[in-house]
Amino acid sequence: MAAPATPEAFSLTYSMFSLLLILFACVELGDAASAVHVYRLIQYDLAGVPLGSRISGLNHHAVSFPVDPDADLSRSALVVPLLDLDLSFLRDYITNKKLLGGLVILLPQKLSSKFGEFGKNVDLSRVKSVLHELEDLLVHSELPYPVYFAYESSTFDNLLGDIRGNNFSTQPATSTNGGYKLVISAPEAKKLSPPTISNFQGWLPGRKDGDSDQLPTIAIVASYDTFGAAPSLSVGSDSNGSGVAALLEIARLFSRLYSNPKTRGKYNLLFGLTSGGPYNYNGTQKWLRSFDQRVREGIDYAICLNSVGTWENDLWMHVSKPPENVYIKEIHEGFSEVAKDMGFSINVKHKKINISNPRVAWEHEQFSRFRVTALTLSGLSAAPEFLQSTGNLHDTRKSVDEKVVVRTVKLVAESLARQIYGHKGKNIDIFADSSSLAVNSHHIRSLLDLLSRTPRVAPFLSKNDPFLAALKKELSDHTVEVHVQNELLDGAFTFYDSTEATLNIYQVAGVTFDFLFLMVLGSYLIVLFSFLVITTRGLDDLINIFRRPTVRKSKSV
Amino acid sequence: MTLFHFVNCALLTFGPHVVYYSATPLSEYDTIGTCVKAAVVYLVTALVKLVCLATFLKVPENEGFDPYQELMKVLIGFIDVAGLYFALTQLTHRNISQNHKFQAVGLGWAFADSVLHRLAPLWIGARGLEFTWEFIFQGLEANANLVMTLSLAALGSLMWLRKNKPRTLVPTIYVCAFLLATMPSITRFP
Repeated sequence: MAAPATPEAFSLTYSMFSLLLILFACVELGDAASAVHVYRLIQYDLAGVPLGSRISGLNHHAVSFPVDPDADLSRSALVVPLLDLDLSFLRDYITNKKLLGGLVILLPQKLSSKFGEFGKNVDLSRVKSVLHELEDLLVHSELPYPVYFAYESSTFDNLLGDIRGNNFSTQPATSTNGGYKLVISAPEAKKLSPPTISNFQGWLPGRKDGDSDQLPTIAIVASYDTFGAAPSLSVGSDSNGSGVAALLEIARLFSRLYSNPKTRGKYNLLFGLTSGGPYNYNGTQKWLRSFDQRVREGIDYAICLNSVGTWENDLWMHVSKPPENVYIKEIHEGFSEVAKDMGFSINVKHKKINISNPRVAWEHEQFSRFRVTALTLSGLSAAPEFLQSTGNLHDTRKSVDEKVVVRTVKLVAESLARQIYGHKGKNIDIFADSSSLAVNSHHIRSLLDLLSRTPRVAPFLSKNDPFLAALKKELSDHTVEVHVQNELLDGAFTFYDSTEATLNIYQVAGVTFDFLFLMVLGSYLIVLFSFLVITTRGLDDLINIFRRPTVRKSKSV
Repeated sequence: MTLFHFVNCALLTFGPHVVYYSATPLSEYDTIGTCVKAAVVYLVTALVKLVCLATFLKVPENEGFDPYQELMKVLIGFIDVAGLYFALTQLTHRNISQNHKFQAVGLGWAFADSVLHRLAPLWIGARGLEFTWEFIFQGLEANANLVMTLSLAALGSLMWLRKNKPRTLVPTIYVCAFLLATMPSITRFP
């Protein structure tokens, strides 16, 4: 009976031992009270000037506002909810080159799509303006300490509550009085290889009538990559996810028309998804340069889509030729005719290009530099500054309304179709809502969802990134002759890796506590010793123990 | 400062054993050999207990109360008593008085228990940055365990080694011994 049980028993013992070992391993791995996912501020060099957060590792005690203005915070990690962050304080620290041990900025959960609607009620417009200012400040300055973004959570609420409760503000937390220790053990950020930018193009060739030579081309272009303070959070749903979604939907609509020889128009349609948008539309420039001279001259005009997901009643048409120009006038008329039917207006905004200025604010300016008529449709009324409106932290899925994108798609598609099929001036609804050619809002929604899930900062998107493969697949579903162009990004950008990390929060006891504990422990052991000696051997023995050494000493002397 | 905390906790866990040994006449009569032998017996007992637990106990699928399983647990708990019995009666010691013998056995037993159950978690856990009360409580538990083991050894020595027991006290001794032996099973159900 016992013999057959023995091997089983041994295997069980063995498994119990291994279980114990695993348990110990877990204890060692997960000994932090909590581990939080954090996103680092971008670190990059622009023409040799170091910018952004320069350090990735953090190991300091947590402090929070209000802090003593004269306190030395170079050995403390400042944890601040976004809306409590005093920007003038931060600006003061940056301009005076004062050191912080680290900075952890807590973003409202509402910004993230991950947390759904469960976040606290916050004023989103205020969040937006604060974030805008903050990002502008952080991206353009050098911060010689780690700066991280994290989403607000109960962990941080507890931490902040405890810090404020203990009032470490009057007396900054150090290793002597406990508190919380924030540890990020990230390796030093390494330089990334020069970023590749991938441009995608796809054609919908028009119908050639017998001997006709080259057909005119209309190009529809959107830039898909982003740049934001935190590369891992820079999803750019509006800038320029909305443009990409609109472009792919337009491609789908026209691919249906162009698949039937009877409805194939007399224009070639060229769809371009370009990268390098935040860096003066460097990808667009490379893409245009790669074209044959004849193809480039064949482009009648180009429509660039930029941030078309948030406008309300006015869509802006940005051009670099004066609005009196015949072409521009014609295109504008085509758009406003459809817009009037849909109940909103299209405004033209003229901005001359300065060839000597390297700044390219709109994508169409790259076309204009190649003498191709082009315009940008955008919800933004003014040209963004360098590295602005290119996928900011507040630019998430929630800021984009797919209905607005649907309207944009309808506007562009309808006016294009009227021009292609020569229905200008007639009130024909080709993409009517209930027809088989209706704009598909589900398609747009799923595209926006995908784009809003994927951070698309070019240096962190490798050539083989699944997102790029998905983009190519989507484009080749609707167009032919899909071509990917891989180029290196121009300009003096150097990027650094380590964009995400895990923040370990430890609740630590101060040295004072340990000393106190040692003293209590020492007295306990002494009392125990004396008690045992007295009860087992008597008081005299106890006294003798202390007397003996002195006796010996006197002997030796 | 975590090494400091570890030292503190280790002092709390193992200090009382050392103090007990050095403060009582145990040190004067050089009973360290008995302590070591008791510790070895404890190790063997623990191994046997582990094998028995693995062989006879099922992994509970639900949190229900299974009388058979509980009985098994109590019976396996008595392996400890058997081990103590062996240590007290079968081990031949040099001329050691009965009085010192049970103390030495109890002390070695409790010390081995502390080392086996508490040293590894302490080494891994208390050196981490995170502060918890867990290891301080564990140290206090080790103190309580020392007292319990000594009492159990004292009772055992009363039962098995002393010849002239007062008649009236015998049932009390047995009830106490039973309660002590089943203490681990009892404390599991708060």
